[in-house]
Amino acid sequence: MKVWVIAELKEGELRRVSLEAVAKATELGDADVLELHSDERASALAGATALAERARAGAPDLILVGATPAGRDLAARLAAKLGWTYLSECAELRIEDGQAVAVRSMYAGKVRATVSGTLPAVVSVRAGIAQVADAAPPRPGSVQVAPSGEGLEFVRFEETKTTGTRVPLGEARVVVSGGRGLKGPENWKLVQDLADVLGAALGASRAVTDAGWRPNEEQVGQTGKTVTPDLYIALGISGAIQHLAGMSSSKVIVAVNKDPDADLLKIADYAVVADLFEFVPAFTEELRKVVARD
Amino acid sequence: MKLLVCVKQVPDSTVRVKVAGDQKAIVPEGVTWAISPYDEYAIELALEHKDANPGTTVGVITVGPPRARDALRQALAMGCDDATLVTGADVETLGGLATARALAKVVDEVTPDLVLCGKQASDDDQGFVGQALAETLGWPHVAIVTKFVASDGGTEIWKEVEGGHEVWKASGPAVLTVQKSQKDPRYPSLPGIMKAKKKEIPEKDLASLGADLGGPSVEIRAMEPPPARKAGRVMKDGDPKALAAELAKLLRDEARVL
Ligand SMILES: Cc1cc2nc3c(=O)[nH]c(=O)nc-3n(C[C@H](O)[C@H](O)[C@H](O)COP(=O)(O)OP(=O)(O)OC[C@H]3O[C@@H](n4cnc5c(N)ncnc54)[C@H](O)[C@@H]3O)c2cc1C
Ligand SMILES: Nc1ncnc2c1ncn2[C@@H]1O[C@H](COP(=O)(O)O)[C@@H](O)[C@H]1O
Repeated sequence: MKVWVIAELKEGELRRVSLEAVAKATELGDADVLELHSDERASALAGATALAERARAGAPDLILVGATPAGRDLAARLAAKLGWTYLSECAELRIEDGQAVAVRSMYAGKVRATVSGTLPAVVSVRAGIAQVADAAPPRPGSVQVAPSGEGLEFVRFEETKTTGTRVPLGEARVVVSGGRGLKGPENWKLVQDLADVLGAALGASRAVTDAGWRPNEEQVGQTGKTVTPDLYIALGISGAIQHLAGMSSSKVIVAVNKDPDADLLKIADYAVVADLFEFVPAFTEELRKVVARD
Repeated sequence: MKLLVCVKQVPDSTVRVKVAGDQKAIVPEGVTWAISPYDEYAIELALEHKDANPGTTVGVITVGPPRARDALRQALAMGCDDATLVTGADVETLGGLATARALAKVVDEVTPDLVLCGKQASDDDQGFVGQALAETLGWPHVAIVTKFVASDGGTEIWKEVEGGHEVWKASGPAVLTVQKSQKDPRYPSLPGIMKAKKKEIPEKDLASLGADLGGPSVEIRAMEPPPARKAGRVMKDGDPKALAAELAKLLRDEARVL
């Protein structure tokens, strides 16, 4: 079983989801790690073109890609180019009788499905697909990407002001999300301070991103990101079905809401009925003590 | 400019999806169907372009069962100019690549300048058909798009990435897969609804398109609801400070997530 991993780097290091993909690949067979190199910002098409050429020659049975936004885009185009099976955003993966068998969510997180497809296959894997090995990952081999030359050209990058250098939402172990209960963007310091103590990524409900209080990329839910952290803390979020779709697979859920009937309180492991403006500063203070002690 | 939007009809986002007894599909009874949310954003982007650039035409297309006509009707009511339904036997179990190849046949006929898809359909949640369509057509694609503007000799396209947007320029036709953007999809207007009622929606037979519908597909072995979460510990009626201290302690000692 030849398994390739297309690794994604962030600030020179393999991303967590790439490390996990490597661990998965090692478990399934002979793992090879590849990394894309290009002189300019490359399109998914250019990346897929370079990789497809390599794959046709090297004939792996399976290509794993971390299911980050960039990874999913690349994986989809690559699978189409090769005409291989594509399994998207898999939470579990095994090989059975020459088939790739995966568990993935469907219907915006409302259904958990076991699916299968013939090999060779391209599979994008979610954070949490495997436990990262203690041993250092193999050094990635390099695949040189040439500009696609197919009528697409990179022009410029426009930075979003509101985001700093935080953990990406999709891979974070802890997520702190704020909803309309925060009343306005000026109160986000409460969410940020709590997130800082925990080293958490920031999330938001759609009410918040629609109002422009926070950037779209922070939205959790059906039309936002799906997250599966160890700890999800929701502040002033009611728990609409579309929000639950994006976070109800988190390991531990804390919800803070002043309305005891709020839907999110019904699925939370720790349902705190309180005014968030009183509770959150106190909670941040307490956590600071706990974290400092450890 | 001629735009074509690919839409899929899926259960409305408020539907509590139930899995059928054989675990292979969802129970269709009681489902309200709607245009997949990202496809609605794609329609909105196309219509905004039309608002700003008279002379633009926006077509919509779906590959689906006869009920998907309602999704097309909705798109027409929002302001799209024409709609096409591709339907036939087995259309509901068509794989992503086959769907893309069927769509590509119609794109060849319509010859749009840009094709807009959703970032992913909210039934299979794959995020595959847009890229596969571009590949079949031999076109470039840009994923996770929130905006596009016609510019000298092409189209500037905004792609959402971590920390901001990349702007790409397509010199010719391209497929865009559309992300949620700041502007919510418009509601159909009353005159729009009246007009849409009268519009004819031509139907194409899937098998007669001549598309290669073979190739790898994903088999569903079993569906189940996500593991149910049991109600947890309710914490209330205390001084916020005491509640906060208690929760911090529980997260460390009981949940062990700190
Ligand atoms: C097609 C579609 C897709 C959607 N996709 C998403 C999605 O991806 N993500 C998403 O989140 N939503 C999504 N929605 C929207 C969703 O239906 C809800 O409207 C949204 O989640 C509500 O956000 P909220 O909980 O912040 O606001 P609200 O529902 O207004 O809830 C605010 C909560 O704050 C509480 N509160 C108020 N003040 C305080 C206080 N002082 N202290 C403590 N608690 C307080 C209130 O009791 C209330 O429960 C989608 C909707 C549609 C139709
Ligand atoms: N049956 C279909 N008919 C028309 N467009 C489709 C169909 N399936 C998928 N698409 C388009 O492709 C996008 C991605 O779908 P998917 O790969 O299924 O997640 C959707 O948002 C639609 O724009």
